[in-house]
Amino acid sequence: MSKPALMRHMPQIAHVDVNCFYASSERAFDPSLEGRPVIVLSNNDGCAVTRSPEAKALGIGMGDPWFKLAPRAKEWGLVALSSNYELYGDISARVMELLGRYSAWLEVYSIDEAFLGVKGSPAELLAMGRSMKAAVRRNVGVPVCVGIAPTKTLAKLANKWAKNNKAFDGVCHWDSVPAPEREALLGRLSVEEVWGIAGRLTRRLNGMGIFTIADLVRADPVAIRDKFNVVVMRTVLELQGTPCIPMEEERIGRDQLIFSRSFAKPITTAAGIRQVMSVYGQQASARLAKHGLQAKVLTAFAGTSHFNPKDTSYPSVCVPLPMPTADPVILTKAGHALLPRIVEGVRYARAGIMVTDLRPSGNQAPLSPFENPHEERHIGTLLEDVTRRYGRGSIGLGHGGIRGGPDWTMKRDMLSPRYTTHWDELPLVKAA
Amino acid sequence: MGVIIGPRVIDAGVSLLSVLVSPVPVAAGFPSPAQDYFDGRIDLNAHLIKDVTSTYVVRVSGESMTGAGISDGDELIVNRALEPHDGAVVVAVLDGELTIKRLRITPRGVILRAENPAYPDINVPALSDLTIWGVATRCLHHV
Repeated sequence: MSKPALMRHMPQIAHVDVNCFYASSERAFDPSLEGRPVIVLSNNDGCAVTRSPEAKALGIGMGDPWFKLAPRAKEWGLVALSSNYELYGDISARVMELLGRYSAWLEVYSIDEAFLGVKGSPAELLAMGRSMKAAVRRNVGVPVCVGIAPTKTLAKLANKWAKNNKAFDGVCHWDSVPAPEREALLGRLSVEEVWGIAGRLTRRLNGMGIFTIADLVRADPVAIRDKFNVVVMRTVLELQGTPCIPMEEERIGRDQLIFSRSFAKPITTAAGIRQVMSVYGQQASARLAKHGLQAKVLTAFAGTSHFNPKDTSYPSVCVPLPMPTADPVILTKAGHALLPRIVEGVRYARAGIMVTDLRPSGNQAPLSPFENPHEERHIGTLLEDVTRRYGRGSIGLGHGGIRGGPDWTMKRDMLSPRYTTHWDELPLVKAA
Repeated sequence: MGVIIGPRVIDAGVSLLSVLVSPVPVAAGFPSPAQDYFDGRIDLNAHLIKDVTSTYVVRVSGESMTGAGISDGDELIVNRALEPHDGAVVVAVLDGELTIKRLRITPRGVILRAENPAYPDINVPALSDLTIWGVATRCLHHV
């Protein structure tokens, strides 16, 4: 039975993600790391967040704390690196730019993965996937895998398959795989391998006798909606091949921006938290301005470590802003609303702010009584320009401080050079 | 307080970096005859980097390429997208290190040549035995 030409070229989704993104970014500039176990540590060198396959083979788990691994690192030949966000951010941008050449329909899903809308015959799609993989590897320097399928959920699954089965050589076009093979795979994989199905949901599905992905594919979407919700129903439909999750042009941080870190050393005073709020207020302002957004609501929070069950304190405060704003002074002030709730002497391990209810700036001019005095004077843009020109930490607002970094800033003792963003840290090539 | 640049008064609070200004500071009364011809300053990025996505800047350490005008401490602009060809100056991966050499592709094999008689050449049977990291397109030589 031959389908009409249009049917044969229904749009499909390519899901592309970088293998062990952080570790691969490091290897791109330090080939001596190739073939060695490499882990990248979370903020403050806390625990392993990226593991190269060699590190996984040593039995190092996701989230294993560094202090437990450190004593054996030498014997293992394990290389541990601090998170080099400057490098990863630049490599990510390069990967996305390159992928954007394959399709104008690009959704950057996270720092290391993207969905692309693609069209073509199975052979063309497979060729396109291989071309993407080769181009990112060669032009940017990091390895990716590609999954191409009729829906996002299947594309994610195809990608995972491409990663785990050498026969695909990193590129899996779902429809090109013989149906019996696909069914065997779905019958083998647990439902929690599906994008969007996790934890509690898995247990509830298991309770209904749904254990494998194949079980979920066979489920009645309407019954699933009644039992769970429309989100789970969409997942079932997507697994059955009906696209339900649309491509989104700009997903990251469109509804909220969060600035939060855990501290290298706990903060025990309201004055310390005040300084943290000032820094995050300015970072939030800069990020909002960069995206042409203003926020309506700011939430400030702090918390003690969950490793330390006594003296817990999780203060948080939600502040409606007087007007939609990206003004660093107003955001910082709003963050200070948290201070009365800080208990002096308690060891706070993290704090942050979240701005929500974001909207494009400049759409509605505020009524004059609510005009924002600081925005008028371009304080935000001024701070931003100085920072861009002279670096982060060169200028600060009030308690954001400028000198030498307050002692709660992130600990990155094993930081590799910021090869692509700092002139003094360029990769060295040997002429010998 | 404003700064007088050309015919306009620009508030010093506005980012001067982002404003295209006339290259010639002018007395307030007489407009510069040059200002209609000003199209922006030379942008080195635009001229030296053809493909920003694939281009990295690296720094040279060592003396083995001095014959090619590449000295210790010079910066190289390296494009990873370019096909390595005979005669190109390439960054190759040798023993886990990024190394700069002149690539010679001959019927008898591939040579990574140092451009300084004090350093040895390296012979490999074929290009596929090598990992070429990128092709240098410019040297920013310190004079």
